[in-house]
Amino acid sequence: MTRIVSTMVHGSIVDDDTEMTLVELCHACSVHEEDVRVWVSEGVLHPSDEPGHPMRFRGAALRRARVAVRLTRDLEVNTAGVALALDLLDEIAELRSRLARAGAR
Amino acid sequence: MQFKDYYAALGVTRDASQDEIKRAYRKLARKYHPDVSKEADAEARFKEIGEANEVLKDPEKRAAYDQAGRQWERQRASGSQDFQPPPGWDAGFEFSGRGDEGGFTAEDLFGGADHSDFFEALFGRARGSRSARAARPDVHVRGQDHHAKVMIALEDAYRGAQRSIVLRLPTLDEHGRVAMHERTLDVNIPKGIRAGQHLRLSGQGGPGIGDAPAGDLFLEIEFEPHRRYRIDGRDVYVDLPLAPWEAALGASVEAPTPDGPVQLTIPPGSQAGRKLRLKGRGIPAGTASGAPGDLYAVLTIVLPTAVTPKAKAAYQALADAFDFDPRKNVQE
Repeated sequence: MTRIVSTMVHGSIVDDDTEMTLVELCHACSVHEEDVRVWVSEGVLHPSDEPGHPMRFRGAALRRARVAVRLTRDLEVNTAGVALALDLLDEIAELRSRLARAGAR
Repeated sequence: MQFKDYYAALGVTRDASQDEIKRAYRKLARKYHPDVSKEADAEARFKEIGEANEVLKDPEKRAAYDQAGRQWERQRASGSQDFQPPPGWDAGFEFSGRGDEGGFTAEDLFGGADHSDFFEALFGRARGSRSARAARPDVHVRGQDHHAKVMIALEDAYRGAQRSIVLRLPTLDEHGRVAMHERTLDVNIPKGIRAGQHLRLSGQGGPGIGDAPAGDLFLEIEFEPHRRYRIDGRDVYVDLPLAPWEAALGASVEAPTPDGPVQLTIPPGSQAGRKLRLKGRGIPAGTASGAPGDLYAVLTIVLPTAVTPKAKAAYQALADAFDFDPRKNVQE
């Protein structure tokens, strides 16, 4: 075991001001461009889609794509199933925040 | 080393068919998948059943595991509590458990290969991320992006924080053997980050091959559960208990916020459940163009118990002073 202690590193927050290209998103998720294109066509991801410009993804797409990767890999869910699961997860998250606002723990 | 009962992990018997194992695994995988499960120990359980499945679904590994199990039974019969893998299976590398310092939980740093030391003693360490392969001089491939999860406290999102993160990466040494490198990163967590967001550390992922640059390290942020605050996106909710007279007459009370207490004016006639908004006191903006969240104090009213004659008289005076029917709306 070799130990290397590195110094302080600063990161940047991947938020909705951050734009990622198709290549960057694929690299960050270790998937092929074809996978991402299929997710876009199933409505899992919503890139900016100006005609004549390449697709660009906002920061929140990274989390969605990562969940899609894990569901596909770990549970062998197909694309339509991933889309359904993500929609349901969004709905659960919305219900949970409504509970939080109402005071439930 | 603890002997792991993979059959128990999947809830199947030792003579379970491959079909039964597959069904049991699928069911548990859906239940404990960290993205869909809210079980407190989902991540650990999911790893455990994943490892159990990896061994039991593969007839060769399963046979080897069964043999190790029979040996373990004999060891235990002779009074040993500590499992030692059969000679010749231990490939001789040292493994000292992963570093979990600084609230860091390693995720799929190398493609999901994250096994217990029991598994690695029996079956060896998973070989080879792309970065561990020997480089050819004419090949230039950008290093892999790596991912890890980091737990931070809500207060860290208000003030920013530092976390030491220990990364363990397999690399090939000059003899072509896989060696583990441990690398500590002191990461600056910027204020304004939210749960579910990623922090991107450029060039801190897997090394590039040839002249290509290294990949990035993405840290997914999660908040530790807080006993006082509830979090909804950028907004933060806190219960603020009031005495009945404070709610009825109005008051100036101290309310906690993750940034320290603030003085809050309670309007007269406040009811339980009313939310008082403290604009901009939620999670701060993460970028120059972003807006901070709000903090909501959710009023609750706490009734003191009447114990002394004086306190009882005070409640009686209340009853006499009001013509009040709290059940007006529940009558037929």
